[in-house]
Amino acid sequence: MCPAFGAVRNLLRMEDAMPIVISSGDGCLYGHTFVAHFYVANRPVHSPGVSSEIWAKGSAFDELRSMVCDMAERHEPAIIPICSLCVSDTVGLPFDLLPKQIGNTEVIYVPLPAYSVHTHARAKDIVVDSLVWRLPPQRKARSGVNLIGEIFPSDPIAIDELLRRMGTHVNTHVPGPRWADYVAMVDGALNAPLHPFYSESVKRMRAKQGLPFVEGAPVGIDGTYRWITAIGAALALDEATVERVAQQERALVREAIDGQRLDGLTFMVAGYEGHEFLLVRLLIEAGAAVPFLSTAVNANPLAREEERWLRERGCTVLYSANFADEIAALTHRPYDCVIGTTPLCAHAKELGIPSIYYTNAIATRSLMLAAGAADVLSLVNQTVRAKARYERIARFFAADENKLERSATSWAPTIDLTTHLLASQAT
Amino acid sequence: MSAAGLDKASRAAGIDKTGRAAGELPSEIKNTPIRRRVTDLDHAGGDTGAMQVFASLRDANVVLDGPVGCHVMPAVAVINYTDSLPYLQNVTCSELSETEVTLAGTLGVLKEKVAAAAADGKQVFIVSTPVSELIGATWTTEHIHEKGSALFFDSHSLDDDEWRARDRALLFLWAHRDHFIERGTSTPPRTSTRPLVNIVGPTYGNFNSYSDLAEIKRLIAGIGAEVNLVYPFESSAHDTARLADAAATVVMYREYGSSLAHEVGLPTFFAPIGLEPTTRFLRDLGAVLGLEDDVAAFIAREKTETLAAWHDIWRSTHSDFFANAPVAIVAPPTYKDGLTYYLGEELGLPVAFSAYRTGPQSAPSDEVRDALRGLSPAPMLVLGSINERMILAQEALPSRFLQCSFPGAVVRRATGTPFVGYAGALWLLQCVCETLFDVLFANLPTSAAPPERASVPTKDLLRDAPSVAAANGKGQNSITTWTDEAKALAELTVKRVPFFVRVSVNKKLRAEAEKLAARRGSAVDAAIVREVTARYSPRN
Repeated sequence: MCPAFGAVRNLLRMEDAMPIVISSGDGCLYGHTFVAHFYVANRPVHSPGVSSEIWAKGSAFDELRSMVCDMAERHEPAIIPICSLCVSDTVGLPFDLLPKQIGNTEVIYVPLPAYSVHTHARAKDIVVDSLVWRLPPQRKARSGVNLIGEIFPSDPIAIDELLRRMGTHVNTHVPGPRWADYVAMVDGALNAPLHPFYSESVKRMRAKQGLPFVEGAPVGIDGTYRWITAIGAALALDEATVERVAQQERALVREAIDGQRLDGLTFMVAGYEGHEFLLVRLLIEAGAAVPFLSTAVNANPLAREEERWLRERGCTVLYSANFADEIAALTHRPYDCVIGTTPLCAHAKELGIPSIYYTNAIATRSLMLAAGAADVLSLVNQTVRAKARYERIARFFAADENKLERSATSWAPTIDLTTHLLASQAT
Repeated sequence: MSAAGLDKASRAAGIDKTGRAAGELPSEIKNTPIRRRVTDLDHAGGDTGAMQVFASLRDANVVLDGPVGCHVMPAVAVINYTDSLPYLQNVTCSELSETEVTLAGTLGVLKEKVAAAAADGKQVFIVSTPVSELIGATWTTEHIHEKGSALFFDSHSLDDDEWRARDRALLFLWAHRDHFIERGTSTPPRTSTRPLVNIVGPTYGNFNSYSDLAEIKRLIAGIGAEVNLVYPFESSAHDTARLADAAATVVMYREYGSSLAHEVGLPTFFAPIGLEPTTRFLRDLGAVLGLEDDVAAFIAREKTETLAAWHDIWRSTHSDFFANAPVAIVAPPTYKDGLTYYLGEELGLPVAFSAYRTGPQSAPSDEVRDALRGLSPAPMLVLGSINERMILAQEALPSRFLQCSFPGAVVRRATGTPFVGYAGALWLLQCVCETLFDVLFANLPTSAAPPERASVPTKDLLRDAPSVAAANGKGQNSITTWTDEAKALAELTVKRVPFFVRVSVNKKLRAEAEKLAARRGSAVDAAIVREVTARYSPRN
């Protein structure tokens, strides 16, 4: 998936937004449109036409400007995000010359050159950053928590219920389906980036809003307790109440995990959504071995705490994931389950390893609190238990049914990453 | 000297052996126009089309010279939903980053990727992308003239649509046919004495091609000929020169491949859609191959096998409905024209609207929307892509939908859904009939299961009958009043459904609307009609 799609996806899901995608060419736009209509939204994707002549003449900008004005006038959306992909950003269209507001419509430039965005996670960070940067300064009367990060639709409700037991609440949640969700941030008392990749947004929010931050998320036994107490401390809530709530929730998560143990099983996790850190937490607390986490997220300050926690439990974090290495890692090690990208899972299935595609299966579920832990671990358990089925099919399709091998990929080497990592951990 | 200026003999002998100086052979395929504004783009660009041709070759590795998105979008994400492949295992990318784009150029990273892609002994094709074209990247090394070395293809990704790029890529392969070396994956040479036929196309990312290809192969075998090469889909680059060994070429789709067939210079035929076109195709192909008798025998046999079912359906009552079951068709030229002829002329379904999805006459999405919205009655069946499916849903049109084009996620790997040939004629006929039955079911006049409860005994009904009539003032049975607006709206609603279900729809609408009015103690007004209509609109 093109890294920029992480942003296009979030913006197309905003019901009062009317995004314009300035593609690099038809190959690029076709891909974004195809995937958007497959699983993002049943709504049109608008773009100015592009060609070598249009880029050379610079006429794309004139067309863009008249498009923005027409759309604002005809449809009056709350925002028109301008998603600028590789070529338009390389050419350097003068986006500063676009009107900032037309009537009630905010026109917001979202720079998404895939060659420097690199990951979905970074693209999502750019969306939040671009939209939040448009907001006025934080207002005086502040209360509640701004949740930042894509989570399961019922998660904010569960978190709000929890926070109310301690005397605060969820102020708003972004990325949300409406511009108003972003605007409401100006009244929050605390920012909680739930995933470790909103680094640029957080940097600029720190500079502009002057709000305290609590990192991490209420996921897993340790994570839930730590997050709740950190919120309490940051907002100076009643310590005894916070401690009581944190302990209650921790006990509930532990109970949920105890019902779904994964002891003795080894997992490979490769994700590019950004919440793979949280998933691995759950797997490890349920007793699984996860020798490494391959993530598309770049090493950044927000991920440091998560990384430390994982490292202490025998899991190396590989930042800026490399697909080829992930596939190579499958070579020798007998994994019990693989959670990763489509290519990785396809190869795992060739080897008879139960596997699930991260985006479709995991990213659509809650991970938070006891209910999230129970839900995601039950899916994982169900998958692991299907080992026999995966193996039967793999043997049928293998050239030699006693020697399962993965098929060749032009770009995946045959080095054994897992063995290499385990060796480096031992020394 | 340009390639076009070469006589046939020099062409057969191979143009410029190194390939580069020869430039490109001219493609006959016309581009889809580039519009000022685009809504829901319905075709991919040149880089994608070229990749789909080269990646189809068994001995090829493709390196896209672009940022990571130019690789994962077409070769990992989209291919999974067009061809049901987890990803294209022989495609990689130079993964351009900011450094290459703004400073270093792409040659450095490209060399590494090409070396890696050549490591397993494959023929490497480098395909340009919008970013590499923008910064003027090409492939200049000392090895470019060596046989079997990596080849650079300028995909014109900023200007050419996927179809023209496919056509040009196929020509490019032919122009370089002497460049390719044996890599142990060539198709074994034929030994039979039966006449040989090339099949040009399909490539990856071509709607329904797996079934269409299977049917064309079946037809060729059926008349006693043999397939020489399925090119590029089941061939190696090294096989390219062997295209000249056949006695005829069948081009699967008009969108690409005909320029290659022209260069190869053999009698060329297009895969047929419909009953008569298939018969004509078989006879013409048979005449060229000297297989007239075999063709006649095959057609006779088909009438008792594949087409027996077609004839049975045609003789059934199913076909009586066709004249009142309008359809709309939006597809690339091959399918659009083929379906228009077959469904419209041969089966007699009125084609209420049709538009090209690609090429110089293609219709933009908003024009298709306006046209579909304006049709009365709405077509029973709309054949199109996800764009049309979205229009049906967004405009709440009562039409059924059948996918006949990309874009739109679909699985078409089972080979039982051809559009071409006799089997295609049967499959499409079956689809149409099933749609008819589906529409009939949705419009059955009554769906009272369980039946309404009898709240009043018959003797009470008898007692009240005179007063009901009196209260109504019409001296007959109780008639619920309809407002003028409601009547107009009901009329409009009935007109929008195919004729063959109008009686049912009318009955149902009246019954349900009056039931609702009675419950509310009002006349039937426009709101009630709207409510009832909405309840029975299909969800596309």
